[in-house]
Amino acid sequence: MPSLHELQRRFADALLAGEGAQPAVRLAGTKTAERLGIYRRTIATNYRNALAATYPVVCRLVGARLFHASVDAHVAMHPSRSGDLNEYGGTFGDFLAGYPAVSELRYLPDVARLEWAIDVANRAADSNADPESVLRALAACPGDRLPSLLLTMDGSSRMIESPFPLLRIWQVNQPGHDGEMSVDFAVGPDRLRVRRERSGVALERMASGDFAWLAALSTRANLAGAISAGQHADATFDLGGALHRYIGDGTITGIVDAPLTGTSGASD
Amino acid sequence: MSNDALPAACGLGLRAPHVRQVLSERPPVPWFEVHSENYFADGGPALTALERIRATCALSLHGVGLSLGSTDPLSHAHLDRLARLIARVEPALVSEHLCWSGVGGRHFNDLLPLPFTDEAIAHLCARICEAQDYLGREIAVENVSAYVAFGDSTMPEWEFVAEVVRRTGCKLLLDVNNAFVNAMNHGFDADRYLAAMPADAIAEIHLAGFERTDLCLIDTHGARVAPEVWALYRKTIARIGPHPTLIEWDIDIPEFAVLEDEAATAEAILTEHHAVAA
Repeated sequence: MPSLHELQRRFADALLAGEGAQPAVRLAGTKTAERLGIYRRTIATNYRNALAATYPVVCRLVGARLFHASVDAHVAMHPSRSGDLNEYGGTFGDFLAGYPAVSELRYLPDVARLEWAIDVANRAADSNADPESVLRALAACPGDRLPSLLLTMDGSSRMIESPFPLLRIWQVNQPGHDGEMSVDFAVGPDRLRVRRERSGVALERMASGDFAWLAALSTRANLAGAISAGQHADATFDLGGALHRYIGDGTITGIVDAPLTGTSGASD
Repeated sequence: MSNDALPAACGLGLRAPHVRQVLSERPPVPWFEVHSENYFADGGPALTALERIRATCALSLHGVGLSLGSTDPLSHAHLDRLARLIARVEPALVSEHLCWSGVGGRHFNDLLPLPFTDEAIAHLCARICEAQDYLGREIAVENVSAYVAFGDSTMPEWEFVAEVVRRTGCKLLLDVNNAFVNAMNHGFDADRYLAAMPADAIAEIHLAGFERTDLCLIDTHGARVAPEVWALYRKTIARIGPHPTLIEWDIDIPEFAVLEDEAATAEAILTEHHAVAA
């Protein structure tokens, strides 16, 4: 008799084989290949439903039929590695960028990335930001230490940049939207910050300097590296204003006085 | 609310479409059950809502993704998330399934059937003990529905389930609908199956609806409980006495009132036997 491991391996192979394929495991009873198909269809439906819940706008933009086909293809290329289905699907945006059937919708991968960021923000830890204490810690920091400071970020914050008017595309495809549907593709790029606030996930369009600065900080660049990223994006980048705004709203949750490494920019 | 046992009354599976209504109307449901993985988040509105409901109501955590029967290593990341959720909501019961969900690192995120063999019993028992040790508490395991049966099985399902529970000392979550679905799909007597279930170990009972197809019965959790399953449930309660019972509904989820109506049917059966016991 095959071992338990071998039986499971063969059963898995049978699930991955095409509809009607005879499994290499001995199954009792009649119509076993057809009955195995029930599992195959249940599994496919579970992934389609799970990703439809995470990616409602992508689903709406391409229609249910093409969405299901794209989910099936994604599952084949990027199978689930976790028993938690809620964790599945973070690679869908990158997958869509290379999926020929949707190549005409060039903005679709960015819509998917935005929807994943919203999903992640909804599951992130609740913020316990205390702006006053962050400002106090910053004021108490010796001037020569400032360039090497790392700033910690609220776990729900995600930064997304797109050459398309992403926010508008997302907004006109929300269930509650009943106004004008037109999207002006001449407007763009969009630099968005996704973040969960008390009332729910908020999407905010950001100025290019603020975006570059915050995006650099979120990839653990030190303050000096983030400032040069902000100034590179916008020569008029206002550090004081950005610190005030993003500490004040709880995006920046703390400071870490890291030793100088002699480099600036992203450290991981 | 303290970490007490579930009441011997009919609870409901809490699903996302009903959460808002449950929070605003506070229907008199004695306890709720949720799928553990749906609350593995670090924070956010879903977890906050669950904590608010838990503040006034007993809770059972029902896992669908631990893959207890898989020959892959038990996921400590999964157990960590479960342990954190347990600490956060202090459930009365934590349960999982007698199944596997993936192999070779690939998950199918479905409840797949096991062969009923000595090797599978030994494997499951070791894994249940590992999970219980990791979590520092007893878990309940549920018998699953199946559409195929392994030709290599060496015993009937009821012996397999009873032996796993006997050897590990874990609790049993007895799904009466799954017993009926399997009896129809694999041609055995559901009464014989249910009579073999160890009464002392049963911590919770599940009831749900199935779909009839030309091939077999499919355990969809998308319909009312079938008359045959109500009859088996009544016999089971007559044998083991009133036990915490749950109505599960997972696809084509109806109005909350439909779930309450199903629960009233179960409650009437429990009351018959509360009266007998008194």
